[in-house]
Amino acid sequence: MTHAIGGLAIGAAAAWLAAACIALAAGRIVGLRAAAWLSGAGGIVAVVGGVLLAIHGSGATLHLGSSTVGAATFRIEPLAAPFIVLLGAVAVANGLYAPRYHEPARGTAIYLLAYNLALLASLAVLVAGDAVAFLVAWESMALFCYLLILRHHRRSGVASSAFLFIALSEVGFLMIVLAFAILASRTGTLDLAQMAHRSAHVSIGWRAAAYLLALGGFGFKAGLVPFHVWLPPAHSVAPADGSAFLSGMVLKLGVYGIALFAITLLAGGPAWWGVVTMGLGAVSAVLGILYALMERDLKRFLAFSSIENIGIIITALGASMVFTAYGQRAIGTFLLIVALYHALNHGIYKTLLFQEAGVIEHATGTRDLDRLGGLVRRLPRTAVIFLIGTMAIAALPPLNGFVSEWLLFQGLFQGFRISSHTVGILIVVAGALIALTGGLAIDAFVRAFGIPFLGMPRSNPAANATEAHQPTGGPALLAAACLFLGIGAPLVLTALDRVARSATGNDIRAKLIVPQLGVIPAHTSFSEFSPTYLAAFMLAVLVVPIVIYLAGRPRARSRRPPVWDGGIVDFKARMQYTATTDANPIRVTFAPLYQPHVHLERSSDDPAGRSGPVHYRFSVTPIFERYLYQPVVWLVKTIANLARPLQNGDVNLYVFYVFVMVLIAYAVYRS
Amino acid sequence: MRADQPITPPIGGGLEGELRRRTLAVFGRSLHIRTVDTGSCAVCESEIRLLASPHYDLHRLGFFFTPAPRHADLLMVTGPAIRAADNLLLKVVQATPDPKAVLAVGACALGGVYCEDELVHGAVDRVVPVDVYVPGCPPSPLALLQGLLVAVGRLEERVAALSMDLDAPGPAADGGDAS
Amino acid sequence: MAIWFFRGLRKGIATTRYPKTLDPWTRDLPTPPAFHSRRLTSGLADALAEACPSGAIRRAGPDLVIDLGRCTCCGRCLELAGDAAAPSGEFQLATVDRSGLVKRVPIRGDHGSRA
Repeated sequence: MTHAIGGLAIGAAAAWLAAACIALAAGRIVGLRAAAWLSGAGGIVAVVGGVLLAIHGSGATLHLGSSTVGAATFRIEPLAAPFIVLLGAVAVANGLYAPRYHEPARGTAIYLLAYNLALLASLAVLVAGDAVAFLVAWESMALFCYLLILRHHRRSGVASSAFLFIALSEVGFLMIVLAFAILASRTGTLDLAQMAHRSAHVSIGWRAAAYLLALGGFGFKAGLVPFHVWLPPAHSVAPADGSAFLSGMVLKLGVYGIALFAITLLAGGPAWWGVVTMGLGAVSAVLGILYALMERDLKRFLAFSSIENIGIIITALGASMVFTAYGQRAIGTFLLIVALYHALNHGIYKTLLFQEAGVIEHATGTRDLDRLGGLVRRLPRTAVIFLIGTMAIAALPPLNGFVSEWLLFQGLFQGFRISSHTVGILIVVAGALIALTGGLAIDAFVRAFGIPFLGMPRSNPAANATEAHQPTGGPALLAAACLFLGIGAPLVLTALDRVARSATGNDIRAKLIVPQLGVIPAHTSFSEFSPTYLAAFMLAVLVVPIVIYLAGRPRARSRRPPVWDGGIVDFKARMQYTATTDANPIRVTFAPLYQPHVHLERSSDDPAGRSGPVHYRFSVTPIFERYLYQPVVWLVKTIANLARPLQNGDVNLYVFYVFVMVLIAYAVYRS
Repeated sequence: MRADQPITPPIGGGLEGELRRRTLAVFGRSLHIRTVDTGSCAVCESEIRLLASPHYDLHRLGFFFTPAPRHADLLMVTGPAIRAADNLLLKVVQATPDPKAVLAVGACALGGVYCEDELVHGAVDRVVPVDVYVPGCPPSPLALLQGLLVAVGRLEERVAALSMDLDAPGPAADGGDAS
Repeated sequence: MAIWFFRGLRKGIATTRYPKTLDPWTRDLPTPPAFHSRRLTSGLADALAEACPSGAIRRAGPDLVIDLGRCTCCGRCLELAGDAAAPSGEFQLATVDRSGLVKRVPIRGDHGSRA
């Protein structure tokens, strides 16, 4: 079995490498389809491999290279299993999606090459066995993602967004390198498994430094606040399946990195690590959704929503660390399972949403919510699938988002079991912030579904959208996955329990799944809930109004008048809510956070605007960019300016430098 | 009306009695009213609004106002049915489920004040069928209550027996006598 | 709230008892005119028809026809007719039958007798 899993991993890698090569022929439709399907086939292999890994609990080890060329170790650990499954699922969905979304062109060829190599690099990150392999894979993944984002590099804003992405990715990479360097030097080995064994002997100060550097470095990639500023621009300018891959998978690699350090490499850290992690997560969640509500661009909105969900995942991870540090190992393991489960769920439905955003953009030519409307009639299949994705991300039963958020709350609510009252209160505060996030998320996604799909079209392109030639297979598959992950949650959680057992050594199977398909949060007398039976119950309850309707039909004579519309003679699309106005209550309530700038221009003093148009411009103050990043940039530029005289181009000065260095070397050598 | 007169006269036989019996069965206990303004001067609306005041209190008689035509049993239409409100009036009447009653309230709605021309129909019953007519300019809230009670079959009409000839023999309106 | 409670106890219930009884102030409500047929002359009838701004009064042969539905109780006819007309005092005029609101008053004052 171990070898089978190893074989599957190699198979997936080979498929993606092959797809990358074939992608060079994607200038023609045949090449495009072949590359996409091969990529999808690799995804299927990866999903199967990941599932087997989760169930079986261990994978193979592979040594490559030699002492002359340089060696790399690849080890398939169970902690990577849910991420491998997610990677495979995203690859399959994108494989189905790509042929209909992309035009056969040279740009597409390069894009697909970069995309498949990014898939390969992501797999390498997940199965890296030593620090160098990990770092090389990480950096390659970042580089290929950069190429992904540059697909439409001639459009305005794309190059700068991609540059911001790679620049901050490099900053994070530096921090990760430092973290690995600290651990490697303190434990004397580059191999990750041995690092994990020996890290207990490293002093707590170095371990804390390594963890904080890892949290920051991986936080840059995961999109935690305040490391998130690259995320909205990058995810919105990339093509839809690229954004899906970035939001669905690459962010989870950041989560994997933090989990790797927290659970495997630096296990048994003090509670304050978990508190800091949890705090960052909760703040990211709330700020993510608050900024999402202010967005008119559908893809920027989804990008901020990704920040929110990553915040939720990291909160679960941090809470898991806190509980474990206080001896509540069962709840700690439970919350780790919840974190992995939510990572998987979010990957699935965020990929779905980005793919559908791509469909909308192709069908109507715009991503601006204020220009869309009435798409449920023009794009019915897209509407249904988007609705399923929206319901999943807004955590509505019986879908997967509901189950994972519910279980997260069940875990957080047990904060009273912690002996320290302060920390217990902090956990409750985190739970309250996540609850606030949940409410705002429902508002945000009602807006995200209602404005483009319902009502009347707000522009001509929206009125003329057509579903012909739009990809449906990929998103539909993901929607089915959402349903399965929600209704079949006991099954999925059993598999994740095995993953957690291999990763932490705690077995909570008896305290997780009870007979009758129920799920309990690591304590038998706290609460119980069965997602499967809930789904069955909801379906059964739906029958009641249907039966009433069918039974009452023969007897009740009915007249079908038009919908009562208040007597309005002629409905205009401009009479509806827009995305901007729908979020107005939030904007007003949270104005101290947004610091909005409103610019209102009237042609005259007439408040009804009868003598000319009224111009309203509104913008949110980007506080992180302005107060955190710009000062840093200014500092770097100032230092660079101060150092410029050292490089004034005068050869004589450079010879003088050489002379000074020779003197110094001589003095050192002499002493 | 004298204090010793019965409030709700007993229901007689025949077609008229049957009609009253059925009306009472449907509308007798509780009635939801929706007002429709087809271009009135809004004084009739003021009087209608006064019905909800503690002095007249239509709730004690089982009447309620509702803004939604779908919930209404009775429509009180004021105004001379200006042509610009045709769409509105027809839509409201269409949206109100059967069984329903339409009351035309005020002199404008009954054909007075405005003649039929290119802007105005002049009378509500030129646009929609009207069940009960309530004259007045504006009708006092008590007249409105009488109109509502007539519409639900709880009061009998007085107009048929009325004679505007003070010198005529027989029961007549006594000039200046509120009996 | 106490002030209303005690005021209510002092003054009693303010709600009207209609339709059981009529309040005394209804005596002063503006109402459509009623006519003394023996004092109506053709000339007066024509003048009244001319004066009515709502078109409620018209002359149809030997009769003065008054449409109670159209009357706005403005009082111009009362002023013009003098003692030939008086307010009818009747304001409960709701009806199912529109034509029932059109009342005919014979013009009997033409022979000159004003008895």
